[in-house]
Amino acid sequence: MRAALALLTCLSGFAASAQTTPKFAEETGSAGLVATYSGEWEEMVGGGVATFDCSGDMRPEVLVAGGVGPATLWRNESPVGGVLAFTSVTSGLEMTKVTGAYPLDIDSDGITDVVLLRVGENLVMRGLGACRFEPANGLWAFEGGDGWSTAFAAMWEKGAAFPTLAVGNYIDRTEEAFPWGSCTDNWLHRGGVAGFAAPLPLTPSFCALSMLFTDWNRSGTPSLRVSNDREYYKGGQEQLWDIQPGAAPRLYTEADGWARLRIWGMGIASHDVTGDGYPDYFLTSMADSKFQTLKPDTKGPAYADLAWVRGITAHRPYTGGDLRPSTGWHAQFEDVNNDGLTDLFVAKGNVWEMPDFAMDDPNNLLVAGGPDGRFVEMGDVAGVASMQAGRGAALTDLNLDGLVDLIVVNRNSPVQVWRNVTPDAGAWVQVRLAQPAPNVDAIGAWIEVRVGDAVQRREITSGGGHVSGGLGWWHFGLGQATSAEVRVLWPDGTEGPWQPVAGNAFYRLERGVEPQVAAP
Amino acid sequence: MRIVGWLAMVAAVAMLSVGAASAQGSSVGPDVVVRTWYRLMLELVRHTPTMSPPVSSRAMGYVGVAAYETVAGGSDAMTSLAGQLNALDALPARDPGAVYDEAVALQAVLSASVASFFSNTGPTGQRAMTALATRFGDKVAVGVPPDVIARSAAYGQAVAAHINQWSQDDGGARVENMGFPFDYTPKEGPQSWVPTSLVRQQQAPLLPYWGTNRPFVMPAGTACPLPAPPAYSEDPTSEFYAQAMEVVTAKATITDEQKAIARFWSDDPMLSPTPPGHWMSIALQILERDGADLATHVDVMARIGMAMSDAFIGCWHSKFEYDLLRPVTYIRRVIDPAWEPLLITPPFPEYPSGHSTQSGAAATVLTALYGERYGFTDATHADDGLQARRYDSFWHAAEEAGISRLYGGIHFRAAIERGLDQGRCIGAYVNRLQTVAQ
Repeated sequence: MRAALALLTCLSGFAASAQTTPKFAEETGSAGLVATYSGEWEEMVGGGVATFDCSGDMRPEVLVAGGVGPATLWRNESPVGGVLAFTSVTSGLEMTKVTGAYPLDIDSDGITDVVLLRVGENLVMRGLGACRFEPANGLWAFEGGDGWSTAFAAMWEKGAAFPTLAVGNYIDRTEEAFPWGSCTDNWLHRGGVAGFAAPLPLTPSFCALSMLFTDWNRSGTPSLRVSNDREYYKGGQEQLWDIQPGAAPRLYTEADGWARLRIWGMGIASHDVTGDGYPDYFLTSMADSKFQTLKPDTKGPAYADLAWVRGITAHRPYTGGDLRPSTGWHAQFEDVNNDGLTDLFVAKGNVWEMPDFAMDDPNNLLVAGGPDGRFVEMGDVAGVASMQAGRGAALTDLNLDGLVDLIVVNRNSPVQVWRNVTPDAGAWVQVRLAQPAPNVDAIGAWIEVRVGDAVQRREITSGGGHVSGGLGWWHFGLGQATSAEVRVLWPDGTEGPWQPVAGNAFYRLERGVEPQVAAP
Repeated sequence: MRIVGWLAMVAAVAMLSVGAASAQGSSVGPDVVVRTWYRLMLELVRHTPTMSPPVSSRAMGYVGVAAYETVAGGSDAMTSLAGQLNALDALPARDPGAVYDEAVALQAVLSASVASFFSNTGPTGQRAMTALATRFGDKVAVGVPPDVIARSAAYGQAVAAHINQWSQDDGGARVENMGFPFDYTPKEGPQSWVPTSLVRQQQAPLLPYWGTNRPFVMPAGTACPLPAPPAYSEDPTSEFYAQAMEVVTAKATITDEQKAIARFWSDDPMLSPTPPGHWMSIALQILERDGADLATHVDVMARIGMAMSDAFIGCWHSKFEYDLLRPVTYIRRVIDPAWEPLLITPPFPEYPSGHSTQSGAAATVLTALYGERYGFTDATHADDGLQARRYDSFWHAAEEAGISRLYGGIHFRAAIERGLDQGRCIGAYVNRLQTVAQ
């Protein structure tokens, strides 16, 4: 609670006097993006979406996992501030049995690559430019395995040219009558000079559905958070791996302060919501969600659950009349009304005819700024309370108007897209990082945005959510402010200077260079 | 050995012996059919959120009776439970003089019964039930003449339908919101139970009316009443305060062995086969170890299942009669605001301890079947990485299960001791049943 109150003080420089109700216009039918994540048992989880600009026009393209059908890439042709518009692109990414995807410039050549998680061999797809891709497992010595992959995270270890990739794997899909307890090993693909080392099993593994490299204690070295599905593991729990360069991964234990937590872990969202300088973590599950903040004065990874006091348990439908418990998947923190307070979106949907859980399970849009630091449910009034079986999602500015739009992948029903049309939204700034190779997009950096005494902090990560990830412009709402200061804490620990930026603009932040305005 | 691995071995052995099957009987032993379906049930209990301990005990009770009656229908040495159990009418009879295959009949009754009582399970559970009903069913039928297969399967299905129909009006057939009422008005007074969980669904207690359900054997949930718990008091000289301090001290001085005991018997819903499943697992391990015959298999499993189910009805009646707060609530209010129990505090009133009542009932039934000094090893949680534990008797295990709740910080001593007493009373009703002639 102390941290929560600190947030209210810390961020008050951004916030408007009253909560601005976000508004979204669904443009699923008109946007031209027609895709479905489809399948049966092997597609009951997964259904990811990746957003990244491969056409060079600043707009994020959209890659949708197809399940039994092929993945599809959609070129973003939305006019600035206008309606959403996409056209299909033949890209080389049209692989079947894709569960999810993450964009990442693996070889640091300035062209975004893509990791495809699959039921079967995972693929690293090298970007060729102009939204063309080719398999690069052989080129980069990436062993794709033959698992059921359902989680991903990436970081650059110190001194490595290539990133270290963590791939989370689910159950042994050949087990039919007794699959429980058959979780297959997660793999750590450590980056080297020109590719990847042989995968290192992260044993024990407990059927991961989300992973995230995150610098939980601001030590300068990210650790690997793993959210696991208790439906299938035995003897398992949530995990945090300490991964130091050149050393074997080590699990944090109770002796370190890590408390045993066993949930149907399905998605991780992180953000410094409480304003204490450390990432907080929202974990989706079934019938309950967790919101973990680092306990004050702790030396180890000891967390308090603030989901209840912050009003983000998201435990059952809030509209539609189905009172059974909810099933949460992708979660993501973004400021949807630009008031300077990060909000929380959760994609919801029944696993597959599970009668103990809601079938009509609306997505959540939990808007920050309520009384006592609580979030307020606005999914219905905002227009995003879809009752489809949501899985992956992306919140990103699709039409470059400064408002975060929304894409949700549903299982066995079409992908939905919404344009953010919030009236009276605050100002904003969006930045993209650049530094010399390796790690040209500065994964692992922190961006800080300051207005007066109020500071927003954002860790730049690759991973998390539910098999969904984005790379590109990092969005900050500024509330009533018309300008702000921004600085970057680069992955190697270098602190960039505070630099002034104007509101309602895009900036490229390159290491050692003044912020450069980017115009769509 | 992992239980999954054990089952795979059982199935493999059964399949390998197909070639040697006689033309008149299944190559898969009927005892293997029983154990295989029970193993699946224990997994389904763990992986079906509706299956809280009371609900899972009910399912095990009915499935047990269904399997027992299927076998009893073809045995002169076994007495039907019809007329002995509450509201159970005479079951479908076999065709006199016709040939039946016990394995096929059991495959039919168990596949139908498990599908019915575990209908809420998710896609993986459904897939597993289908796999056992079809692929395992095919193996069971190998070597059996088609007319015998048809007759035996029809008989098993008829028994399953009869049992399913019998279960519909016992008060426990419909469970909403995993058993947590949407509306609940807490009772007043400092002694009353209050929610202890940050899980929103658990702000009402689990199944507050379960104690009014129709039991299997005992006449009603009130059949084994308990005296009131020690009177609530915050006076440091009171018995209530002393029992709370015992919980605090137990946590403060807990040994590694006591911690292991607490976790071994924790049996959390959705993370284990739950407490009734734990005792079913013990029985299954003993049946397999002893190479028990088919009649003993179905008799033991039926008795344990009914005892577990009646224990939860009796226990739940007492829980909501006294509606006592949990140790964590009292200790934080009166002794130490920062106190944390070792185990997750269950979301319902404290007195008596459910684990104690049902363990007392199980020990009473198993002791009657196997004797006072029957040693066994319990490897129920081997797959979860918990070491097997050795017991000199069933009461040794039951008493350890009881005291584990004090080590875990979720029960006072009175709830444990009187829970065991209540279980003894409930188990005695089951012991009076006439089943297999000795």
